[in-house]
Amino acid sequence: MLEVPNRLHHRKKIMIVLIGVLVIFSALAGRLVYLAAWCAEYYAAQAQELHERERSIKAARGRILDRNGVVLADNKTVCTVSVIYSQIQDPERVVSVLSEELSLPREYVAKQVGKFSSREKIKSNVSKSIGDRIREYDLAGVKVDEDYKRYYPYQELASKVLGFTGGDNQGILGLEVKYEQFLQGTPGLILTVTDAKGIEIEAAGERRVEPKNGLDLTISMDANIQAYATMLAKQVCESKEAEGVSILVMNPQNGEIYACVDIPEYNLNEPFALSEEAQSLDSKAKQELLNGIWRNRCISDTYEPGSTFKIITASAGLEDGCITPSSVFFCPGSIKVDDRIIRCHKRTGHGSQDFTHCMMNSCNPALISVGLRLGVDKYLQYFEQFGLKDKTGIDLPGEAGTIMHSKENMGNVELATVAFGQSFQVTPIQLLTTVSSLINGGRRITPHFGLHTSDETDAVIDTFAYPERDGIVSEETSATLRGILEKVVSEGSGRNGQVAGFRVGGKTATSQTLPRGSGRYISSFIGFAPADDPQVIAIAIIHTPKGIYYGGQVAAPVIRQLYENILPYLGIEGYNQ
Amino acid sequence: MAKKVKAKPVSRWSRFKNMDVLVLITVFFLNVFGLVMIYSASSYSNSTSLLIKQAIAVGGGIVLMLGTVFVGHTILKKLWWLIYGVAVIFLALVKTSLGVESHGARRWIHFPGIPFNIQPAEIAKIAVIITTALMICWMGNEIRNIWKVMIACGILAGPLALEIILFTKNMSTTIILCGIVGLMFFLASPCYKDYLIIAGIAVGLAAVFILISLFTDWAGFRGSRITAWLNPEEYGQETGYQTKQALYAIGSGGIGGKGLGQSMQKLNYLPEAQNDMIFSIICEEWGLFGAFTIMFVFAVLIWRIALIAMRAKSLFSSMLACGVLAHIALQVILNIAVVTNSVPNTGVSLPFISYGGSSVLCLLIEIGIVLSVNCETKEKNRDEIERRTKEYDDGNRTMPNT
Repeated sequence: MLEVPNRLHHRKKIMIVLIGVLVIFSALAGRLVYLAAWCAEYYAAQAQELHERERSIKAARGRILDRNGVVLADNKTVCTVSVIYSQIQDPERVVSVLSEELSLPREYVAKQVGKFSSREKIKSNVSKSIGDRIREYDLAGVKVDEDYKRYYPYQELASKVLGFTGGDNQGILGLEVKYEQFLQGTPGLILTVTDAKGIEIEAAGERRVEPKNGLDLTISMDANIQAYATMLAKQVCESKEAEGVSILVMNPQNGEIYACVDIPEYNLNEPFALSEEAQSLDSKAKQELLNGIWRNRCISDTYEPGSTFKIITASAGLEDGCITPSSVFFCPGSIKVDDRIIRCHKRTGHGSQDFTHCMMNSCNPALISVGLRLGVDKYLQYFEQFGLKDKTGIDLPGEAGTIMHSKENMGNVELATVAFGQSFQVTPIQLLTTVSSLINGGRRITPHFGLHTSDETDAVIDTFAYPERDGIVSEETSATLRGILEKVVSEGSGRNGQVAGFRVGGKTATSQTLPRGSGRYISSFIGFAPADDPQVIAIAIIHTPKGIYYGGQVAAPVIRQLYENILPYLGIEGYNQ
Repeated sequence: MAKKVKAKPVSRWSRFKNMDVLVLITVFFLNVFGLVMIYSASSYSNSTSLLIKQAIAVGGGIVLMLGTVFVGHTILKKLWWLIYGVAVIFLALVKTSLGVESHGARRWIHFPGIPFNIQPAEIAKIAVIITTALMICWMGNEIRNIWKVMIACGILAGPLALEIILFTKNMSTTIILCGIVGLMFFLASPCYKDYLIIAGIAVGLAAVFILISLFTDWAGFRGSRITAWLNPEEYGQETGYQTKQALYAIGSGGIGGKGLGQSMQKLNYLPEAQNDMIFSIICEEWGLFGAFTIMFVFAVLIWRIALIAMRAKSLFSSMLACGVLAHIALQVILNIAVVTNSVPNTGVSLPFISYGGSSVLCLLIEIGIVLSVNCETKEKNRDEIERRTKEYDDGNRTMPNT
């Protein structure tokens, strides 16, 4: 039965199956051509993406330079030391060398070295000299990667202006964050080929995309003026046991800020450092404390300006024509506005006086009268025209807005208090900018730091322009105002602001902080020089001084000392020259 | 007179001279190439350990192949029950404590004292080829009755297929087993229509299954393979991962390939690159050129086996060769189809090339059977020639007398 012959139809069917197999083979071959030739590019790219791991190369962050090229924010090369488990040949030696050189506990290093991972970081921010030393040991599996770290050579200088950077060298505060896009640069890439576990394939080599370094930023600050202003602020802060002192120095013609001090400052190289007792706080409280330390009161906080604001009321009155410098006012020591009696700081009254003397005496009833003559509508119109309602547009983050009565809620009483600088709040930078605009011939300027960016060859890349608005007061009003304010310093309440050989204009202020009657004051003085052609304007604000708190006696001397040094330094000629 | 000629003793050693050279060359080429590729694909994770194991299996397989040729395939007529029984028992042993689990499936058995694991499913393939060939001979003209054929199929493949499905949960081997039996009956039968209908029903069922998997979750694990098949990149993190990686390998190999040893995908991207997906590594390292070469060699081998089957003197011998042909052809086609994502992913190894000792051992025994069939054909042809020459000579002698 098993010797059945192999019949013809079997052969035919075998042939059919053979052909069938060959047909299917051809179809599969076609499919392979489609995949390996037609789709090759797509799949190869997908595979490449899968195989490559990116490691970024940090771009050096642009430096920040003062107007004379002094480096205020720089980069320091630091090293990150890490180990690659699979490449370590002598773990004992690696542990001992690393723990010794990096002064880390042996157990910690041993734990990190023993971890089975593609790359384990041992320590970052290692100084370059130590990094180089570790590199010289030439230990297999130990990698020393260079990296940039932000470094502020003057530590505390202009801390609240410059701000600092975070762990990835990204700007966090101040100019660092405002000019992030210019400073940061473009990171480069190292593309390495790895297996599925992320282990690098040595033989495959690497592709590099070079980083593009960030641009240097030149700012209008003068490191010398800033340093000197800081010193003066510290002195007055200590001698008056004040809570804080802010000083702003600016060019009133174009808004370039020469100095911006807000004592206490903090060390930019250790922005997160806290005092011993603060260590016990919870993280939220710590953050709040840090935010307070980093806060720039010149820009982010508002205050009641007090008598310095009389400059604005005076300008509005002069511009409107309802007063002239020779208009006569009578001060009996108080003034009745609607149902309220508002007292002058001189209880016995200033008697009869022309407007210039009203300003020299900083007479409240006289300025209230000016305000009332203008009326709420006009006063608010000037308020707006002078640019007080808007933010100044300074190139620092976190600028606070003006807090002002709305028109509907503003009666004569409110108008009267606003006229001598109370019951509303502005930022110091806003006040300084507005006064600058009033004395510079009526041109509203934008206060700023950023001047231009430049590349490694010092070629200027971007030059920053800032908006200006002409005609907020007439040239004539401006000149009159300068004359009055010069008188305030030469013969009036601002006498302590006099600088020998220079014509200085200015106005003092002593404002009570809220709540009233707490005995807490803010003493301030705005001064500019030369009085006939202002080249520099400065404001000093002493927060809560102890003892004598009058602006004319506390704040004016600060500006005097400042001007005695910086006016010659800036090459501003006094009348003797 | 004729009896005298037939009685002439034939040395068994002379059988080796009658082995088909092309079959030997192609099988040798595939095995050597397979070893090279297994080393290339596995050396990154396993160094030479898999290469050595596979080389031992290939060596043992060649010995068994030559042994089969020496003994001859006719002995299978008597010993079929032994092989079938071994297959049935070994498959059952998977469920016992002898069973070995690996790669998330329990498909191997391990006897104490034997240094390697055995995959009984591979033995089942040989068993089913032999028994089907015998059954076809026994059935004689009954083969025209498709119902009887189906009953026969059930008796032959049923127990093994059920065991494979139930004990080892191995869908692909079951498909191949059924495919071998079905193709053998088709080849033996003079009918076409019945088989076309059966094929049509199978295709229809597959289509229904695909549709069900697409729109419901009823099909579970196998259903998810269907959805991953239609969109491997979307399911690239789960079921489609292997397929996606295989496509990346084929695509990045392109036409010319990256060169031997240059595959990136074998660096653990394609898990177990030396197993079922080895063809994609061949594509990556050798490109289309290499892939076509391998397919060509397989085509030559299949053509040669088909020729041997056609020339075989008895139906049994022919069917044995056909069974081996069906086995190799089905596995090559399914494997390449899976690697190129032409069909849903199912674990089928590439004959002679994929890593797997049992597989290569059994395949080489099957090649031994084919070679033995060829020897038989040549011996019979020689006997025939001798007989006719003798008759002619005898005739010649008598001719002058007429």
